[in-house]
Amino acid sequence: MPIEFKQVSHEYSPNTPFAYKALNEIDLELAEGKITAIVGATGSGKTTIVQHLNALLLPTQGEIVVVDKTIKSTEKPKNLKALRKQVGLVFQFPEYQLFEETILKDVAFGPKNFGVSEEDAQEKAKEALKMVGLDETFYERSPLDLSGGQKRRVAIAGILAMDPQVLVLDEPTAGLDPQGAKQMMGLFEMLNKKHGKTILVVTHDMEHVLDYCDEVVVVERGKIAMHVSKEEFFEDASLMVKANINPPAIIRMRTMLQEKGFAIPNTVLSLEALVKALKKGVA
Amino acid sequence: MKVIELKNVSFKYDEEYVVKNVSFSIEKGSYTTIIGHNGSGKSTIAKLIMGLLEKEKGQIFVDGLELNLENLYKIREKIGIVFQNPDNQFIGSTVRDDIAFGLENHCIPHEQMDPLILKFAEKVGMLNYLDSEPTKLSGGQKQRVAIAGVLAMYFNVIIFDEATSMLDPQGKKEINELIEEIHREKNITIVSITHDIEEAVKSDYVIVMDKGKVAMEGKPEEILLREKELIQMQLDIPFTLKFKNELKKQGVNVETNLKMEGMVDALCQLNLNK
Repeated sequence: MPIEFKQVSHEYSPNTPFAYKALNEIDLELAEGKITAIVGATGSGKTTIVQHLNALLLPTQGEIVVVDKTIKSTEKPKNLKALRKQVGLVFQFPEYQLFEETILKDVAFGPKNFGVSEEDAQEKAKEALKMVGLDETFYERSPLDLSGGQKRRVAIAGILAMDPQVLVLDEPTAGLDPQGAKQMMGLFEMLNKKHGKTILVVTHDMEHVLDYCDEVVVVERGKIAMHVSKEEFFEDASLMVKANINPPAIIRMRTMLQEKGFAIPNTVLSLEALVKALKKGVA
Repeated sequence: MKVIELKNVSFKYDEEYVVKNVSFSIEKGSYTTIIGHNGSGKSTIAKLIMGLLEKEKGQIFVDGLELNLENLYKIREKIGIVFQNPDNQFIGSTVRDDIAFGLENHCIPHEQMDPLILKFAEKVGMLNYLDSEPTKLSGGQKQRVAIAGVLAMYFNVIIFDEATSMLDPQGKKEINELIEEIHREKNITIVSITHDIEEAVKSDYVIVMDKGKVAMEGKPEEILLREKELIQMQLDIPFTLKFKNELKKQGVNVETNLKMEGMVDALCQLNLNK
């Protein structure tokens, strides 16, 4: 069940003075069951790409095959509801969309909207809250009383309650403190490994890409500049330079040490491996 | 000289104190970072200094003026702020109007406005977007516009409340360099509320907030090597400290240096596998 973009273009406000082509004939194939990072400069088109995945935006040209549905410029997919159930999209700052009186009601809103009975919706909401690490003491609390990280978990639970196969997250760790961000990425890793969700995450945090993702898609001025495995991406520092990406600290350190003459192979991607490589050759 | 001073400041939402008896001061011309996990009271402090929230107790001084109703607008002429989510800050219908709005409020003559708008739009890389609607920009572009708007006003003090959180690493680096440049050239005091421990490494002074209180403050080398306390407060530790720990674990002892270059030099002297 791959996701495929075929020659997709998107122009905002066409035929107006504000017209702006955000995507330009992109081709992209995303494999099932992986965590893929979408990276690139601000304004490169990352958010525009992900908003096509559940037909929130329609391509102005080309088509997208998601799950078993086709999204085209000329026609909405026949069963938009089913598509949105299978592809859960979490926006930037999703916590601004919380609105119900209690956390349980907020999370149950999604499935209820898809025609699930009140009782079943509550069950699904409880399961989803458990997945994001919020226990029953949270059910009756107001979502507005929570910390930023917890609110975001509630918002993500609201999407998970619809049991999507594909989870798309637009900068899910922006504004979280480092530990909150790590827990959030750990949550996606768990959803991927344990629940088999295909995960697409738009992120600027190269440390997270290195620690949690399988593949990297680089978007550049509305085009796909690169689509490689994480290892390939971080082994070849020139790829990052080419993509105008500031490498993670470990890679910068690796490069600095190499420049000083230390024999460190490019396959070194962790601190443990870096120190091992440094020690090699010492009697 | 102190440009911001807080004396025993407290603030509560409902019945809960989010800022408890906080005192600290910020030196004029310094680059100060305030770190702390979400909910530690950092942003509340910024809003109290701006007079956007009213303190319950204590005194706040900005550039020698005590923050009160009478001085509020004088203080706001001296101090600017960029919030994390600039959506709440846009007023103009185009990027150009938005930057102009702040300048107009500061009574900058019209003929000086245009060059300032062009200069700062260029510096933040948004020159091609002057006629765009701010609401249609990406998160990171919005942050760039908000930063240009504040920089163009040459405040004495600028508070950045996670103002680059949505920028890509390269963009963040560029904007941080721009902020440093303005800071040095115009001797503008920068207060940066951040989660980026590496930004704290580079700053002059670090204030660590925890549970509404100042938990630690001092120069980066005095604060950022205190691993146990930082982790206890749910904060990150500098990369070089993590590196040192891994070296130690594998039996290589090297003195910790907050800067990467310093670690590399120390390793060169050990002459490992060259």
